[in-house]
Amino acid sequence: MGRRIVGTPGASGVAIGPVWRHDAARAGEPTRPSGATQGAAVSGDPASDLRTAAEEAARQLESLAGHIRDLGRAEEAGIFEAQALMATDPELLDEAVSLVEAGMEPAFAVENAAAAASAVLAALPDELLAARAADVRDVGARIARILRGQAVALPEAPSIAIADDLPPSIAAEIPPGLLLGVALEGGSVTAHAVILARGLGIPAIVGARGLLGAAESASTAVVDGATGEVVLDPDATEMAEFAARAAALVESRRAAAALRGRPCATADGERVTLLANIGGPQDAGRALEVGAEGVGLFRTEFLFMKRQTAPSEAEQVAAYRAVFEAFGPDRPVVVRLADIGGDKALPFLDLPAEANPFLGVRAIRLAAHGSRELLLTQLRAIWRAAGLAGVTPHVMAAMVSTLADAREFLALRDEARAAVATTAATAEDPLPDHMVAGVMVEVPSAAILAPELARVVDFFSIGTNDLTQYTLAADRGNPALADLQDGLHPAVLRLIRGVVAGADEAGIPVAVCGELGGDPVGALVLVGLGVDELSADAGSLDEVRAALAGVTRAELGDLAMRALAATDAETVRAMARDLLARSSPPAAR
Amino acid sequence: MQTIEIDVANRSGLHARPAATFVKKAASFRSDIRVENLTRTTKPASAKSLLGVLGCGVEQGHRIRVTAEGEDEEAAIEALRVLAEGGFGEATQA
Repeated sequence: MGRRIVGTPGASGVAIGPVWRHDAARAGEPTRPSGATQGAAVSGDPASDLRTAAEEAARQLESLAGHIRDLGRAEEAGIFEAQALMATDPELLDEAVSLVEAGMEPAFAVENAAAAASAVLAALPDELLAARAADVRDVGARIARILRGQAVALPEAPSIAIADDLPPSIAAEIPPGLLLGVALEGGSVTAHAVILARGLGIPAIVGARGLLGAAESASTAVVDGATGEVVLDPDATEMAEFAARAAALVESRRAAAALRGRPCATADGERVTLLANIGGPQDAGRALEVGAEGVGLFRTEFLFMKRQTAPSEAEQVAAYRAVFEAFGPDRPVVVRLADIGGDKALPFLDLPAEANPFLGVRAIRLAAHGSRELLLTQLRAIWRAAGLAGVTPHVMAAMVSTLADAREFLALRDEARAAVATTAATAEDPLPDHMVAGVMVEVPSAAILAPELARVVDFFSIGTNDLTQYTLAADRGNPALADLQDGLHPAVLRLIRGVVAGADEAGIPVAVCGELGGDPVGALVLVGLGVDELSADAGSLDEVRAALAGVTRAELGDLAMRALAATDAETVRAMARDLLARSSPPAAR
Repeated sequence: MQTIEIDVANRSGLHARPAATFVKKAASFRSDIRVENLTRTTKPASAKSLLGVLGCGVEQGHRIRVTAEGEDEEAAIEALRVLAEGGFGEATQA
């Protein structure tokens, strides 16, 4: 029998595959000192070592590209193919060799040559090349790793990632096709890796104590994201058991996916708008594939992270336009103004360190603290991109806690439009007449002020993760407080009821874009409370649509009343699970 | 020496996949092949280097000059002309 460890379910799904263990403490340590890397560093001629390593890098990248292409991700595969060409690029290698001949150590030389080539691309007046600039540096790092005999820090075949935590910097580097599942010893259900897993539709579990140590010698693992189970080196019986679970899941997913063409509605025809959360243009294809009616949360932070200077207006126009065009005029895309600052310190934001960053200067609060221009630039770019794409822009501000915050956001919106309309370079371009402007409701004060806020903005979008952490005063990143992080807590639900009432009075729609909306059980409660739109990661949409199709409006209303009267989250969760279990499968209706 | 001037019509110019297609085709010839962006007046770069071609910053609507010198220069220019007419493997659109 294999070693069975049970953690907390993070994202549902069943996966069986080789173990890829990421140990943060050891990452980057040379683990293959001798000839294991195709003898790259053994010829005694540094320039020749360098060329051999470059060829090896190109081979790795070509094989990666082929693999990703087989998974149907042609666009991503194209990036690896371009990287394969870069790895053996004559200009890059000539430069690196000349540095080696000048006495530089080969790995360092290739990193330097790549950095120089990258700087040339980054200096071009073309925003699309910024991404290629990062690709060149990445290629340089790959060749350097081979020269140094370091283990490649990424899985080489589709694997189950086992780690203490998988921070964004690591998770973002793993090509999605190489992840079959994620099992973390630490982490919480709102960990970045869990959100990533939901987006990819792969299983994830967190809080599996003892996993990292136990996995040290394991070669195979099975993961069930619904039960939180991991089995290391499973025996034949266990393999068969999990394979059967995987097959049952495939069948129920197939049934749910069959509903994609139909509008999302309850069994008695009450419509619920189902939207996707996306983190960049690369997520558009998957969202459309699963039948998203638009985007309820377009996170724009990717444009601002990992860089020394703020993104230019032109770079932002290109990124927003790509997303607007992918969804077209009939599928609105709600752009969230950059939710940065606070815990996400960026070199170009001149902000002091804070003792409590989640309660600090972030998102819309930046406007009053020296970064008004940053938000204006983003809004100008959104106006322009929407005009070029021929769509009406929808934008929301995060971290709104007062009426003054909402009014500041609307003033920025109008100021940005006026600037675009009167700037010579952009005055001739198409410009939409208006922008649909909403606020995120994630601070309890905003929920309490909902009746007043609803009269000045066009929509609400409830961020359940933050609303829960602020209402229960429990840091969502603290695993010890995991039991206080369930958005189904009646205290949170009562705030949501007030938000819906305030919105109804003013006649504006209410969306939920937090994790709760992507949880079928949470979706039932939220729709019962009167929420009009649910926005979740693409991987959750099928399940949510199927759950809603199996229940009636009356059943949901009754569930919501009982949930509001409860006093703890577990009771609410049990009630909603019970309704879900009793509901007819959609095919039977 | 053979030379041709090409107006780049495909949407993403010589970026990403079109650039890779161009470089792979150029690399299949023995001749020394250079490319320069006449619209942006760049220095000639090796047409066999993706970094060189990307560095020319060729966008839709730019004019480029391709020069080949060597034993198969005529075949090289002809092949690159055909490739350009086909939009470097990418659909051309306004």
